[in-house]
Amino acid sequence: MNMEAVKAEGLSKTYRGKEPVEALKGVALSINKGELFTLLGLNGAGKTTFLKILSTQLSPTKGNARVMGYDVMAQAGEVKKHIAIVPQDVQTYSNFTPWEYCYYFSLLRGMSKRETEDASEKALKAVELWDLRNRTCVGLSGGEKKRAIIATVLASHADVLLLDEPTSGLDAVARRKVWAVLRDLVEQGTTILLTTHIMEEAEMLSDRLAIIDRGNVVAEGTLEEIKSLAKEKFRVIVEGNLHGLDLETNSHTKLGNKQIVYVADEDRALELVGTALKKGLRAEAARITLEDVFVKLVGRGEEA
Amino acid sequence: MNLKPVKDALVIAELKSIPDLKRNPSMVLLVGVISSFPLFYILVFGGNLGYGLVGAMVATISFIGLVASIQDISFDRYVKIREMIVAMPVHPVSYAIGVALGPLLISAPGLIFFMGLTVLLGALPILSVGWAVASLILCWAAGSSIGFIISTYLRNASVYTLGNMSNILGLGLVFMPPVYYPEELLGGMRWLSLIFPTSNAAGLIRYYAGTMSLTLDAVVVRWLILVATVVASIVIVSFKARWRET
Repeated sequence: MNMEAVKAEGLSKTYRGKEPVEALKGVALSINKGELFTLLGLNGAGKTTFLKILSTQLSPTKGNARVMGYDVMAQAGEVKKHIAIVPQDVQTYSNFTPWEYCYYFSLLRGMSKRETEDASEKALKAVELWDLRNRTCVGLSGGEKKRAIIATVLASHADVLLLDEPTSGLDAVARRKVWAVLRDLVEQGTTILLTTHIMEEAEMLSDRLAIIDRGNVVAEGTLEEIKSLAKEKFRVIVEGNLHGLDLETNSHTKLGNKQIVYVADEDRALELVGTALKKGLRAEAARITLEDVFVKLVGRGEEA
Repeated sequence: MNLKPVKDALVIAELKSIPDLKRNPSMVLLVGVISSFPLFYILVFGGNLGYGLVGAMVATISFIGLVASIQDISFDRYVKIREMIVAMPVHPVSYAIGVALGPLLISAPGLIFFMGLTVLLGALPILSVGWAVASLILCWAAGSSIGFIISTYLRNASVYTLGNMSNILGLGLVFMPPVYYPEELLGGMRWLSLIFPTSNAAGLIRYYAGTMSLTLDAVVVRWLILVATVVASIVIVSFKARWRET
C-alpha cells in the first residue's frame, strides 16, 4: 500500500520573463498519509510555488509530483478530487457567510445537497463558527474569517489539505484554535501540508518539516532531526554591557544591548550564564529553538 | 450523462449573485436605473421610447456581460475564490459560464421589466420576443467573451486599469446607434454598427419590432456577425487563457 500522500521528484520551476526566476530547483519531498508536514522558508523561497504545483494551478518546468498517487500534470482531475487549498493571503468575501462558503464550495466538489449541509455543519462546529454561520464575513473578526476559510476546506472532506500560511495575521488565541482543528484533522487521518513563518506553529504542529531556501530543500526531517543539524545545541541570552565576556569563539546575534550566544552544550551555556551573572548582567540559557536553526540555515549571515 | 459541469456552472452563478442580491437587493434597481438613464433623456428631449427601451435591454445585458468577466479577475486577486476553485474538480468552462451567468441573474428583473414594458407599449410584437431574447443572449455571450479577452490579455494590469477599461468599453458599446438611437444617425459610417455586438443585437431587435427595415440578407449577415463575434472572442480567449498557469 502506498503510504505517500505527496511525492515530488526533481521538481523545478522557472518563471519566465525579462529576468527569469528559478523558484524551485529540483525539489524532492515525500509526505506520508496522515502526516502534518510543514514547509518553512523565507519570503520568495519557493513554498507557494511548490503548493501551487501540487494544487494543479501551476505547471512545473521540470520534474514531477504526485498527490495520492496521481500525477499533478497528467491526472490533474483525479488530484483535484483529493485536495483542498487555502491560498496565501486569502481574504474572505464580505457578502458571504461562513455557511455559504462551506455550502457552495462543498457543492462544487460534487456532494449532494444533503451531504453538503451535513459537511458544512460539522466543519463550522469544528471551527466554533456554528453560531456565527449566518453572519456575513464583514462582521467577523480576523480570526473568525480565517476559520471560515478553514471550515471550507474542512467541509470538503479532502484527503490532502494544502494550507499556505493559514494563520498569518491571527492573534495567539485565534491561532491556537486553528492549531487544535488542524491537529484533530491529522488525528482523523487527513494529510496536511502547511507553510508558515511562525516557527512556534511549526514546532507545535509538525510531524515532519522541511526548510526550503532559494528553491532548494536545505533540511528535512522531524523537529529533533532538524534541530540536530545545528552544532550548537544551547543558546544564552545575555543582556547588558558584554565587554569582558568571551564571546568571540561562539556564534552570536546582537540585538541592541542583548546578545543571543550559541554554544555547543549545556555545560558551556551554564558557564557563560555564571560569568555573566558575576558581572551583574542578566542571562538565561535554553535549548536552541527551531527559529535558531532556521536562521542559521537560511539567514545569510544574519548571525555572526 | 454527466451533468456535473452544468450543475457547477449554476452553483458558480448562484455564488456570484445570490449572496450579493440577498445583502444588497438595491443592486437590481441600480442596474436597471443605470441602463435606463438614456430613457429619461429621450423622454425629456424627445425621441422614440420604444427605441429607448430596446436600448435599455441591450445596454443592460452587454454591460453586465462585459463588466462581470473583467471584474471577476480583478476582484479575485483578493478573495481568491477562483484560485480555490481551480484546485477543485470543476471544469474551466463551467467556471467561465458561471461567472458570466451570475450577474445576469442580478440584471434579470430589470431585463424582464424592460421587455415587458416594450411589449406592453407595442414596441415589440409578442411573437418577436423569442427573436429578441435570442439576440440578447448572443449579445450577452459576446460581451462576456470580450470581457474575458481583456481580463486574460491584461491579467497583470492594475485593478484600476481593468475597472476603467471595462467602464469605457461598456459605455462605448451601449452608445453606438442603433442601441438607443436610429442607425441613420451614423450616416456614412453605418457599417460601424455591424462591428459591435450591441448595435447588431439592437438592429435585429428593431427589425423584428418593425422599427427598422432590413433586407433578409442584411438580417442574416447581422446574425452571422453576432455569432462570429462570440465564436471569435472565445477562440481568442482560448489561445491565452490557462486554467493552470505556466
